[in-house]
Amino acid sequence: MKKKKCIAMLLAGGQGSRLGLLTKVMAKPAVPFGGKYRIIDFPLSNCTNSNIDTVGVLTQYQPLELNSYIGSGQAWDLDLSYGGVYVLPPYMTAKSGEWYSGTANAIFQNISFIQQFDPEYVLILSGDHIYKMDYNRMLNFHIQNNADVTIAVRPVPWEVAPSFGIMNVDEDNHIIEFEEKPKNPKSNLASMGVYIFTWKVLKEYLINDNADPNSKNDFGKNIIPNLLNDKKALLAYAFTDYWKDVGTIASLWEANMDLLKDEPEFDLTDPRWKIYSRTPVMPPHFVGENAVVETSMITEGCEVHGTVRNSVLFAGVSIAEGAVVESSVILPGSRIEAGAVVRRAIVSGDCVITANCQVGEDEGDIALIGQSTTLPEGYVVKAGEQVDTDEITRREAAGK
Amino acid sequence: MNDVMGIIYTSKDDLTLRELTSQRAVAAIPVAGRYRIIDFTLSSLVNSNIHNVGIIAQKNYHSLMDHLGSGKDWDLHTRNNGLFILPPFLTRENGGEYSGVLDALRANFDYLRRSRQEFVILTNSDYIMNTSFEPMIEQHIKTGADITLMYKKATPEITEFSSSSKNNHCYINVGEDNVVTDIEINPNAASYDNLYLNVMMIKRTMLIYIVDQVISHGSHDLYADVLRPFIASGALKIMAYEEKGYYRRIETIRGYFNFNMDLLKPGVRDEVFGSNPVYTKTRDYIPTIYRGNAKVKNSLIADGCVIDGEVENCVLFRGVRVAKGAKLKNCVIMQDGYIEDDVELENTIFDKAVTIRSHSRLIGQKQYPIVIGKNITL
Repeated sequence: MKKKKCIAMLLAGGQGSRLGLLTKVMAKPAVPFGGKYRIIDFPLSNCTNSNIDTVGVLTQYQPLELNSYIGSGQAWDLDLSYGGVYVLPPYMTAKSGEWYSGTANAIFQNISFIQQFDPEYVLILSGDHIYKMDYNRMLNFHIQNNADVTIAVRPVPWEVAPSFGIMNVDEDNHIIEFEEKPKNPKSNLASMGVYIFTWKVLKEYLINDNADPNSKNDFGKNIIPNLLNDKKALLAYAFTDYWKDVGTIASLWEANMDLLKDEPEFDLTDPRWKIYSRTPVMPPHFVGENAVVETSMITEGCEVHGTVRNSVLFAGVSIAEGAVVESSVILPGSRIEAGAVVRRAIVSGDCVITANCQVGEDEGDIALIGQSTTLPEGYVVKAGEQVDTDEITRREAAGK
Repeated sequence: MNDVMGIIYTSKDDLTLRELTSQRAVAAIPVAGRYRIIDFTLSSLVNSNIHNVGIIAQKNYHSLMDHLGSGKDWDLHTRNNGLFILPPFLTRENGGEYSGVLDALRANFDYLRRSRQEFVILTNSDYIMNTSFEPMIEQHIKTGADITLMYKKATPEITEFSSSSKNNHCYINVGEDNVVTDIEINPNAASYDNLYLNVMMIKRTMLIYIVDQVISHGSHDLYADVLRPFIASGALKIMAYEEKGYYRRIETIRGYFNFNMDLLKPGVRDEVFGSNPVYTKTRDYIPTIYRGNAKVKNSLIADGCVIDGEVENCVLFRGVRVAKGAKLKNCVIMQDGYIEDDVELENTIFDKAVTIRSHSRLIGQKQYPIVIGKNITL
């Protein structure tokens, strides 16, 4: 069979526990973003736009939503006869069967999947970030520099550097040191979790890593340090465009709000770098006689009869007359009834915010309503609180 | 899956729709923010579990082909069956142009013969209707009819904007047990209020036989040469099926305009979109962005728009931009329209990719909306 030059492996098994109730029923890459997207649309669209047509998606945690979303891969032009998108859950073999114990282990368990395409290079991606990146440029950089591994890095503000994996590089972009979450960082170049490996090298290290009983089977903790120790060619590829980690409720909310600026830093409208997504089959949205809509993003299937300011509404959301939604993100299919006020909040999919409820406050942390929650009439959710059906039951029991 | 195939007949260019059909078939006219007229017929067929659909294309079918593609947006890109586009072609028997639906069917006998389904639903595609054909299919099979005609009680709203050229307006008389006893073709004053919707169901082999017989006897008109004589003679069992849902035939600019405005009524939106999904070509536009000066009332708006002006009673298609200070009232603006700042528009239809420069004013009448053709910059 024909060889593939480079295939991508997308690590989509993480729980994303810092997203609280949002990832209770779905894996982090399936979390909705920007009115009609999910986080995974960004790496998948980047692959398609970079002509990387073979992508293995490694799933483990709550895979149902993600699996059904990816489907045949048609939305990203990844429904091919040779190549395309493959969902790769952990599996049993005759001798054993185990969960993916770490990022490196997930790839290790799929060596035979990768081998069938006989690639020269393997691109490792994570489903945690919002960004547009041409992986092909990075691949060319990798090839030109005869690298064994190239790690995409991005300068971050010094004060947040201690929360990232930090690369110290020489003037030729060679990585001389890697520190995971250093207290006193020597550089502000953070790893983006995007790696290109020469497959031959990666395979060898994965096999050795698996043989080491003390290893955590993790790229950042084991594979990269081992390569450094062996004086392999590790290069840093600098990326300076918009790149946002949406791993927390605050950062996810903020990334959505970023889209509403007059000159958004992150431009989704570029026809040369489209972000593809599974489009729901719904009619255009309708804005009613007494509606007020300002500085917002609204998509198909919505019915807006109330007031919406600085907010992002996903497909099929309905806002009743007399309801107010401000600085909030309302996920698909949710309904906000008359007299309800939603401020600085994320409301998950298929929720009903019944009449006169108050969700979130003008200040403080972002409030979050979990998937398919119907709030009792007049219910109050304070800033920073997370409420779903279980939580309501718990509160009611405690109140009695 | 139903044992039924669909054949959609798209008419030739229709002059009563002016600029809108100068470069496309009626079936390919954009409607309702993100659809083409044919999407409604095609979706109704697919939603009725019909997965073999032939589309008879005529002149100007490029935009239709471009829209339909492989049929994957309608789930019609399957190995067996699926979507078949049937444009006219030139052979010794065919003149490279269809002179009517019978002619078109005859030219496509191969397709009809190769199909396996027992029945055919033959329909035009110049109307908006989101329905299920399954009750009609059931009635047709149960009653053992040879032909079943779909009709609807003609109300003023339905016939108000009919074309004056009387292009196949048929009224039928429905007798006992839903038997059709008479048909009037293009009457000035119809004797019956049962408007035939140009949707019929018939056995596939019978359709092939009838078409062959009629054409070999030198006749070419489905209505005058097939339906009328068979109804009159009673040689075939021709039954009527009453459709009760929303139906509008798009024949004139006013009819087109009024249908779009009709969608701003909640009841109509529910009827047109509520029951079954209407599929269309996906475009990957981003959601619509409302800026700080946006004032939008009573409007239907597709994805990809950027709105910073005032919009009232409008239908905006995908990718329309309305700049600051612009005022739109009762307008239909098709894909990628660009309304620059301080423009004032009323009762206006813009075809695709029309740009109107700053400070312009264009005020039409509700009874006679202004139509601006595709790709024009004002």
